[in-house]
Amino acid sequence: MELSQVRYFITLCKTLNFTRAAEQCNVTQPALTRAIQRLEDELGGALLFRERNLTQLTELGRAMRPHLETMLEAADAAAGLARARRKHVAGSLKIGLGPGIGAAAVAPAVREVAKMLPDVAIHFDESGPAALIDSMLTDMLDCALLPDDCDLPERLNRWPLYRESAVIVLPTEHRLCVLNAVTARDLLDETILTGERCGGFANALVQITGFSLRLQRCNGAAAQMLDLIGAGLGIALLSERLPVSGPLATRKFIDPDLSRGILLTAVAGRPLNPAAASFIKLCRARAFQ
Amino acid sequence: MEDQQGRGTHTIETLTTQLDDLLASRRQNAGWDAAYQEILTRLNREGFLAGILGAGAAFPDFVLPSAEGRLIALADELARGPVVLSFFRGEWCPFCKLTLEALARNLPAIEAAGARVLALTPETGGLPLALKHRHNAGFEVLADVDFGVGLSAGVVFKIPTLYRARLEASGNSLPLRHGNAAWCLPVPATFILRPDATIAWRFVDVDFAHRAEPADIIAALRSL
Repeated sequence: MELSQVRYFITLCKTLNFTRAAEQCNVTQPALTRAIQRLEDELGGALLFRERNLTQLTELGRAMRPHLETMLEAADAAAGLARARRKHVAGSLKIGLGPGIGAAAVAPAVREVAKMLPDVAIHFDESGPAALIDSMLTDMLDCALLPDDCDLPERLNRWPLYRESAVIVLPTEHRLCVLNAVTARDLLDETILTGERCGGFANALVQITGFSLRLQRCNGAAAQMLDLIGAGLGIALLSERLPVSGPLATRKFIDPDLSRGILLTAVAGRPLNPAAASFIKLCRARAFQ
Repeated sequence: MEDQQGRGTHTIETLTTQLDDLLASRRQNAGWDAAYQEILTRLNREGFLAGILGAGAAFPDFVLPSAEGRLIALADELARGPVVLSFFRGEWCPFCKLTLEALARNLPAIEAAGARVLALTPETGGLPLALKHRHNAGFEVLADVDFGVGLSAGVVFKIPTLYRARLEASGNSLPLRHGNAAWCLPVPATFILRPDATIAWRFVDVDFAHRAEPADIIAALRSL
């Protein structure tokens, strides 16, 4: 298939009018019609049907539209970043991070985008899934990393990036530090700090085991939670990817298995700026350990 | 082009011979052969090759992620000399394997001719790196995520029914590999780009068992 054929088809999907689509694509109507016919030949069926003045997508047309739209966006994005770079376009890259999801895994991809577009403004927003989804739908965020157990609307594309396990974060002098790995039973006498940005590991543990664990509610950023652990208020179940140092240590948590998948999400069918499009491609291209 | 191959210096058989042998063994399976024929018939009937960028055309500039997670710009590669740009179906394809091996083997001669190689695959999720490692490839392997560059070049086609059914039945999930459910693939295509991005030479074929012979690539580079 050819780029122009796909571009004409997507324009037709939006206008449902051959005359207007031809105008928007800057071609004659017969040329546009021929291109669509050739695309239909390749795809093995009609994409549109015309009844009097009404143009409608066929079932095949409706099925193919999102895929062809994605490919057209990818073509435009690959060329768009090259152009943005030549013209020193200042753009922005706005990434949402779900509760307890760190930026460390995607930081190399951000670095690559910033190397290509040195004027790009980088923006992270850590929040709950509902708020991040809302921000993406209202165009306040380009994409977001979300846990795979949250409800995603149909309109969001999603790509699995990696899985992460919970670790116990505790003061270095804590009695559990002598263990190589910690189980739920070891936590029965502990106070577990838990909040909106903890990734929900403590709540999952309570649900899975049915143990009545002592949970201390603590909302705030990860850094503040770590300060409280250092002060001896309690311990926490956090993502293994969260960097922990200083007077704090981490221990593996092994029974039950507490892990979650992290997805990269973005609104389907919305053209992204070159920085965001490249960031998403970089994340999708590689494997995360 | 066969007579351009340096017979005396080739101690191993040509890529074409290897591909022909592989194809012959595959075609003994009637189901495989029918799916293969369906692709050829479909793409030949509609004049697919006419839609692919031809010699003299400017290859559009692009930026894509590399297997190692860097962003690679075509313009940067061209600034250092001619580029051999080749589309592959993926890490799973045995015909691509043979071709990548041959390309890796011939890389010193290609580089001696002043050129750099970019291999594009539509695969994601670390598969471009797996492909690169498997062939110990000293050239860049790029992830053409969602077929953006392939579409611009005109090499992408929708996989016909029989072939898709065979892939699905064998558990080869292209949606998982590609990160999209378009069920598309590129046809074999190799472009030699001059430093000004114009296409000096190309090899395209609707038949995925036909690939650019490295000796032909090297000869074309030497005559630039």
